[in-house]
Amino acid sequence: MHAQQQRIDEYRIEEEPYYLATGDELAIAEAAFHEGAPLLLKGPTGCGKTRFMQYLAWRLQRPLVTVSCHDDLSTSDLVGRYLIRAGEAVWNDGPLTMAVRAGAICYLDEIVEARKDTTVVIHPLADDRRQLPIEKRGELLTAPPEFMLAVSYNPGYQSVLKDLKASTRQRFIALSFDYPEPELEVEIVCREGQLDRETARLLVKLAGMTRTLKDSGLAEGASTRLLIQTGKLIGRGIPVRTACRAAVSEALTDDTELLAALDEMVTSLF
Amino acid sequence: MELEILKEKFYRLVAPSLPNEWDVEEALAGLTLDDAQQIEEIFAQIPAIWPVSHSLCFSYLSAAGPAVACLAPEELSLWVHGLLDCYETKGLRGAQLFMEDVAEHFLRQIRGQGGLRLADVRPRLQTYVSGLAGRELPLVAAEAAATDGESIFLPAEIGLYEDQERNFLFFKLIASFQWACLHAGVFAAPPGFPSGKKKAHPLERFFSTFARPDQARSLYHFFETARVLAVLKMELPGLMRQAEPLLGQLTLSADDSQELTLLDHLQQGLLRDKWPEPGRYGRIDQARLLLDACRGASADNRASLEAVHTLMPALDQEEDLTRTEPMVFQGTLLLQEMRNLGLQQQTSRELRMMQSLTVKLHAGPRPPEAGDEEERQGGSGQQGQDTALIVDTPPDWPHGPPPWEPMHVDNPEAAGSAQAESAEHQRGTTVVEQTTQSAAGQAGRMFATGSGVSQAGEEAWQEPLVYDEWDYRRKGFRKKWCVVQEREMARVQTGFIEQTLTRYRGHIRRLRHQFEMMRTTERFVRRQRDGNDIDLDAMVESLADSHAGLPPSDRLFVRLARDERDIAVHFLVDMSNSTAGWVGKSIKEALVLICEAMEMLNDRYGIYGFSGMRRLRCEIFPVKRLNERYSAAVRERISAIGPREYTRMAPAIRHMTSLFAQVEAKVRLLIILSDGKPEDYDDYKGEYAIEDTRHALLEAKARGIHPFCITIDRQAHEYMAHMYGEVNSIFIDQVDRLPARMPEIYRALTS
Repeated sequence: MHAQQQRIDEYRIEEEPYYLATGDELAIAEAAFHEGAPLLLKGPTGCGKTRFMQYLAWRLQRPLVTVSCHDDLSTSDLVGRYLIRAGEAVWNDGPLTMAVRAGAICYLDEIVEARKDTTVVIHPLADDRRQLPIEKRGELLTAPPEFMLAVSYNPGYQSVLKDLKASTRQRFIALSFDYPEPELEVEIVCREGQLDRETARLLVKLAGMTRTLKDSGLAEGASTRLLIQTGKLIGRGIPVRTACRAAVSEALTDDTELLAALDEMVTSLF
Repeated sequence: MELEILKEKFYRLVAPSLPNEWDVEEALAGLTLDDAQQIEEIFAQIPAIWPVSHSLCFSYLSAAGPAVACLAPEELSLWVHGLLDCYETKGLRGAQLFMEDVAEHFLRQIRGQGGLRLADVRPRLQTYVSGLAGRELPLVAAEAAATDGESIFLPAEIGLYEDQERNFLFFKLIASFQWACLHAGVFAAPPGFPSGKKKAHPLERFFSTFARPDQARSLYHFFETARVLAVLKMELPGLMRQAEPLLGQLTLSADDSQELTLLDHLQQGLLRDKWPEPGRYGRIDQARLLLDACRGASADNRASLEAVHTLMPALDQEEDLTRTEPMVFQGTLLLQEMRNLGLQQQTSRELRMMQSLTVKLHAGPRPPEAGDEEERQGGSGQQGQDTALIVDTPPDWPHGPPPWEPMHVDNPEAAGSAQAESAEHQRGTTVVEQTTQSAAGQAGRMFATGSGVSQAGEEAWQEPLVYDEWDYRRKGFRKKWCVVQEREMARVQTGFIEQTLTRYRGHIRRLRHQFEMMRTTERFVRRQRDGNDIDLDAMVESLADSHAGLPPSDRLFVRLARDERDIAVHFLVDMSNSTAGWVGKSIKEALVLICEAMEMLNDRYGIYGFSGMRRLRCEIFPVKRLNERYSAAVRERISAIGPREYTRMAPAIRHMTSLFAQVEAKVRLLIILSDGKPEDYDDYKGEYAIEDTRHALLEAKARGIHPFCITIDRQAHEYMAHMYGEVNSIFIDQVDRLPARMPEIYRALTS
């Protein structure tokens, strides 16, 4: 039990993560937490979903267990499995079980990437039963009030295969995220990327331009995260244009024509 | 070389055609070269040109002599390539012009001495401008730079500088400048001149308050240019930093004129910071102050209007500002065009408003039956009926002239906000079309209903797609050559499906069972290092080993492995005339059987038929789209498959390839059912057709699609292997075996 306590403590967030609220998402999330309702975050990549969860966990003083979902994720990866240790079978809690036991926040990132039959395991946990059956141990865990389930996905991937089942999504309180308004985004890039305001403003403008290129073949524009990374490169003494090329243009596309057009935007701005 | 020998050579090359002797003689008369090597080279290009156009070939022969003189030997084929492209886009006359001046039209381009053409930079620049504007703002080649709010006009070629880098920068500068004109509100209405319903642009009306409006216009344009440059400096500092040296070096009309106008002084001041001594000309000092005010006022055009107000009275009567050329990047102010576009937007807005009004108007006095109708049909259907009623009685039209007639309305927003639907404006040719289109289909539908066009006729229409075609003779594409259109197929209710189902009853049962076995399987893989559960056998062995002092295995787990079938398949069915009769019947039966079997699998599959005649009418008939269910409608469409026209296979394959581009699947399979060689009514036959099809298949393979062909053509082995590759096709000798074989083939292909 002691080891378990130690493990969950690693997931506590001690320092306040930087998060700038763009609307009433915090109030809604806190209300959901107190009501024991699970949370669904949707929005494009790099717009602050994960950072929001970190901030929320810090505010609520709960450990945050994050699982990045992938298409080979099995139920035992979430719930737990028996392992052999010194010739004996030892039960090992998966991240979901660990979070339920400790009353932590379990955050399943990019839930649509996981196979649909895997995600069904969260169903009893996501409604008013708030239970997690562990079949292999014959155990039925009931989540304490401090436990919270949150999932995220990016509706931008226009694939029929990657959509949430209606029965899954209808259990959640949904929060829609988008890139912040330009002024807020400048603020964020300034602060996180440790940049001067003018460079941050131009970076945000560059991002704005890339986000309108959906028709030209760019699936997603530059995210706030990319801008912050660019800022960090600039902070390390990389020239602005080089930093933009490395952290924005090349990160967004392999298409030579689009790359050339993005470069034109960069050279126009900086 | 003797003319007779040349003639004989020529006839041999173009056989079996027998062109008129005098035409040939005339064309060959120009070839008085002694160099046999050059003659060989010129003649080597004839097979590529002759099938495209005989007249072009004659023109080519006449022009080839002088051309060869200035071309390097390896450049001739490139030149012919350019010539054919030119012919296909601009016609015979264009091609002749192309040939007239080899140096101007060809050599300068390929040797990099010419200016930079808009066509070459468009891909890069268009995306850049779209990014700037946040909407589609097409770049159009024109005489001078300008914008009308919906497109940006740029010179077709810029050759101001020797190096293309600076030419490109200048292109970019002009495009950015024109965008900034829109962004900064150069075209906004002056205060006191509301746009209203007046025909003239508010700025035009402002200029006409002066005795010499054209002078006011020039002054305004200059001051706004200064302001826009200041805005650009703020918005795109990088660009302006790069462009600064270019701007300083620009040729101004002051450079070769003795008497400088006020505008000349101002231009020099703006670009070169060259002013006459302060205090010498009071007028210029005053203008300079106004110019500084304009550059400081980035918000709107009021400072420029103010400047025009102040300077106009101070202008000498003899001084003609229009003598001063505007700076190259400035271009012209298209006030008239902008207003016309504004008219269309406003008209479409009014149309929509009237449409909603008519619905409201008729809500009251409708007879009770109509009310019942509405409940049955739902709101939108009723709306169409109401508008139809109004349109049927034109005298009741409440707003004067019917809105599909061209009329002028002003556009207050032209300077700024983007209209989603306004991109349509650029494509149409007449205002009538544009207004109906611009209401996002609403208006068009409304009038179509009014004039009695049936809804069914409308829904079948889809935007045609254009694909390139491979010409093996010139080793290049004929650009935008084939027009492919997807057409809905009429559904047919016959007993065909039932008969087939009954006839192949036993077979279908067996197939279903076989296909069921292919479904995604789950199985436990034992003795894994990592897994869902403990493998007890391995565990016991390992413990025993350990007790016996042997090294124990660490492979102690069982893992659940899933063999997922992530397959998308398109069946492309030849619907050419030759499939009439029992061939067609077998193909249809095969489709029914494969559909019945496929229902047992989760593989996504689509069925498309193709036929058509000539390159401009390649038709694709969707029988079942990829994500459609195998429903009664699909069965009825299978029944409707029948022989139509010709087999131009490559455009259909290219269309399938483009459909596949939107599909995410591990395996993408294209199965083509055909009864013979690709062939069309025109010259599309023989080697040409086979090479084009082969190229289309290679393109498909390059995109990760596996093509496979099932054919019943007895001669197939002659060309099949060449077209599809050795293992990617199968020949079925007995047509009646096709229905039974096809599911087998599919099973073999995918497992």
